[in-house]
Parts: sequence; structure tokens; C-alpha cells
Amino acid sequence: MTTADVAITSQASGTRRIGEPWVLAGLLTAPGLYIIIMAVVPAFLMVQLSLAHREVGGLWSPGFELTQYRQLATPLFARVMGFSLLLAVAGAAICVSLAFPAAYFITRMKRRAQVAWLVFLLGSLSLSEVLIVFAFQVLLSTSGTLAGALSAVGLLAPGASLYPNFPAVLSCLVYLLLPYVILYFYPALSQLDPEVEQAAATMGASRFSTFTSVVLPMMRGQILTGVLLVVIFTFGAYLTPLVLGRPPQWTVAIHISNAAMGAGNVPLAAAYAVAVVVFMVALLALTRLLSRRRGAEA
Amino acid sequence: MRLAAGVLLRRGFLSLLALFLAAPLIVVLSVSFNATRRMSFPPTEFSLRWYGAFFADHAWMASLERSLTIAGLAALVSVMVALPITYAIWRYQAKAAVFLAGIGAALFLIPGVVAALMLSAFWGVTGHVGRLENVVLSHAIVLLGIPLSLLMVGFRTIDQAQVEAAYTMGARDSDAFRMVVRPAMTPYLLCAFVFVFVLSINEYLIAYMVAGFTVQTLPIKIFASMRQGYEPTMCVAAVIFMVMGFSAFGLMSKVADLPRLMGRTRPLEA
Repeated sequence: MTTADVAITSQASGTRRIGEPWVLAGLLTAPGLYIIIMAVVPAFLMVQLSLAHREVGGLWSPGFELTQYRQLATPLFARVMGFSLLLAVAGAAICVSLAFPAAYFITRMKRRAQVAWLVFLLGSLSLSEVLIVFAFQVLLSTSGTLAGALSAVGLLAPGASLYPNFPAVLSCLVYLLLPYVILYFYPALSQLDPEVEQAAATMGASRFSTFTSVVLPMMRGQILTGVLLVVIFTFGAYLTPLVLGRPPQWTVAIHISNAAMGAGNVPLAAAYAVAVVVFMVALLALTRLLSRRRGAEA
Repeated sequence: MRLAAGVLLRRGFLSLLALFLAAPLIVVLSVSFNATRRMSFPPTEFSLRWYGAFFADHAWMASLERSLTIAGLAALVSVMVALPITYAIWRYQAKAAVFLAGIGAALFLIPGVVAALMLSAFWGVTGHVGRLENVVLSHAIVLLGIPLSLLMVGFRTIDQAQVEAAYTMGARDSDAFRMVVRPAMTPYLLCAFVFVFVLSINEYLIAYMVAGFTVQTLPIKIFASMRQGYEPTMCVAAVIFMVMGFSAFGLMSKVADLPRLMGRTRPLEA
């Protein structure tokens, strides 16, 4: 909301300020309680859990110890984080370079085509990760089409399967993320003034060079945030690497869930989770810093 | 000449993209109509027997019903929490409301597994475990970012001059709400509900970590069957998801201005 909007709204509401605190209390008490109990309390609880003392049998007792955080210094955790980051960066590079031009083309379509694309993207974005992973399993399995076609032309040994491996994990992740990233770029690109591009065109720039020299630089901040979005999602990816990958391709999410649900070591899972959130916040701060510095240069 | 090549390139790119996004869905859809028990593609013989088997199976139907209940309640809670917050921001610029909305947005941005762990720890501490309402309340909070942002878009479309006119003519807040706000907001409320509903019904990890052992939702059931090996009824369950998702958003595009809802403010002619 811009300052002008706020000024207009205050003017409109200026005449009826009596009793406003009571109205606000009535409006916000229930939602506020719900959000505090279900979001703020669990967040503090997780931090407390990560410092708690682990008891046998999936139990824990309150405490203040760094036992679990010491486990973060092991090579295993470093390797898991390193792999998650590698997967995230590879996924982000592919997703953003496909999604950006796609969103650009979609925003320049006629209304009907645009709405059709939006319905298609929203529909596939909402599909359960379970379902997509299952579909990929069918697609990539020994008796599936792709393996059959590849072995028919001799690119694959007969009876071989196309998963579990790294490319399978990566392509499924790209599939899951692509609709999100396209829809993320959609508002910014649809706001882009067509006159800017027309101006570049009248000055003799080709479509391609208009795109690279006018559109891309204007969207630098958006692109950086888009990359961050993919990274966050990839760190939370659970089913895709579990089903389509081998243990070396397991992301940090699987280790968190296994520690909590399988090994019954909830404090360790909490410590992993706190580390992931700290890492995310650091990444976010870095992105902000980068886009601000770039902005200052321009 | 160069222009024609550009158009060809653009069409080709978009078609390949659409094909990539549609391929897994087409495979599952056609396998679900296969007559044999084996998973084979392309299907050899058309049959509806697995659809019959799915709808006759009590376990699948119970999961479907459970998922629908959870999604409906979660969407209701989430929209009902977001409405007063966004209204307070729009009408009073209340700082407390902006703060609450900020928490909602932040929750939407943390990795799903972290949210799942936080909430499972929370329910564990309360001692209220393995219950359906745990999943409802957990989904509603994690997905709160969606109704918050959609309802904010909706409130911004309301003409301030119209509200002001209502007040000058002596309308009270409740009158203004009934005459101006409610009609303008109805499509946005509906879209927010549908959006949360669809995402909740598809969600796996939070449902699994909060109450997965006792409350088996449809995604949890599909995943459990996946681990035991292939079963053709799984494809039918998957098709039900697809039909629900695409028809929900198709319907939404009829009710509301979808480009605007997705953040386009520049006018778009037909």
C-alpha cells in the first residue's frame, strides 16, 4: 500500500475513530491467539527442543545442552547440507531459466490463453508431491514408456530402470517447482510497461536484445528472489529424493524426518531444523544485500 | 523472416514446456484405464474396473472422506482467520494486524519439513496426539499466507470513494461492510477457500508428521501403498486429485479475474 492510499483511507475512516480500539480488539483477539499458539509457540518450542536432553524411547527432558548441535559439526551433516545446496542451485538454475521466458511469453498473450495457462499452472502446482513422485516412478520405471523407448534405440540396457539416481531427483524437483516459479514471475512481468519494449524496438533493437538488455536487468531483484524461493523449497523437499534417489541423494529434510520419526531423536531433528532456518535467514540477508548493492550501482 | 523464426521458437518452447508438465499426468491417467494389473504404458485394453474397485474399497473411501473433511475445515479456519486481519489492515491500518500477517507470510516461506517438525513437537507437548483436528489446525496455519495475500488483493480493488460516499450518507461500519465490502469480497473469499482446500488435500508431510499413524489421509494412503508395491487403484486415487485440482481452478477462473488474482494490476483486454 502506498502512502497516498494510506492517506485516503485514514481520511475516510477519520470521521469514525470512536471505539476503534475495541473494534480492533474484537477483530484481532481470536486470530491473534490462534497465530501465537500455533506458530510462535511451536517455533520457540523447537528451539527449546534442540537444546533439550534426549531420553531413551523417543522422549526428552528439558535442559540446556549443546549435545545435538555438536552433531552438526560432523562430516555427515556437512555432506547432507552440501548436497542439498548443490541440488537447490542446480534446480534453481534450470527452473529460473525456463520459468522466466515462459512467464514473459504468458504475460504477453491474449486474455483467454493467459487464463488457460494460469489454470493449467495452478492445477499442476496444487498436485500432491506424492502424486507427482508416483507419476515419475511410473514414467521412469523399467516397464514405462521412456525406458522402453530408450532401450529400443539402444541408449539403455534392456530391463534397466531410469531411477533411483540424481537426474531423476532433479527433473522431478524441476517439475514440482516450475509452476511456482512461473507464477512468481507473473505479476512483475505483467506490470512491465509494453511501451518500454516498444521504445527499444523503435530504436532498432531486436526482440532478443530488448529482452536481454531491457527486460532482464529490470528484473534482476525478482530473479534473485526467485532463485531463493527454489532453494527454500528444495531444502524442504522430502518425498522426491526419498523415492527417486538413493541415500547419498537424501536432502536434509529426509534426515530431519528420519531423526524425529524413525530414530525417535526429536532433539537432533530440532537442531537440524534450527540450523536449516538459520541458513535460510542468512541466505535471505545475503540476497537482500546483493540486490541492494546492485541497485545502488545502477 | 526473423519474426517468423521468433514466433516458431516461442511456440516450440511453450509447447515443450506444456508437454513436460502434462506428461506424467497423461501417463497416470492412461494407466488408470488399463485392464491389466501390471503397470504398463501405453495401456493395452481399456477398462473401468479399477475405478469400480476404488469406489468399492472401504479403506480408500475412508481416506478420501477424511481428506475432504480436513481440507474443508482447514480452508474454513484459514479464511476466517485471514479475513479479520486483512480487514483490520485495510480499514484501520492496524499495526498489530500487519504484524500477524507478517507471521503468516513467514510461515509460508519456511521449508515444509521444518513447519511439520514444529507442529508435531507442539502437538506432542500438548498430549493431544493423532487427532484429525490437529491436521486441520496445522494445515490452516501453514497455508494462512494464501488467504492473507488473496484477500489483500481483494480489499485493494474496493473503490475507496464508494466507501467514503457510504459514510457521508451516514452509513455505519456494519452497513458499509454489508453494502460495499461483502459483495466486492465474495469472489476473493471463495478463491481463497478453494486454494487452501486444494493445497490441504494434497499435502503429505505435515499430515504425516502430525497425525500420520492414526489419521490416514489420501496422500498418506497413496504413499503407504506405493511402499508396498504397485496397485492399479493408486492411479485412480491420483486421477481423483487431478480432476479435483484442475476443475477447482477452472471454476475459479469463471468466478474471478484470475490474472488479477495472480497479481496482474495492468488492465488486460479480452
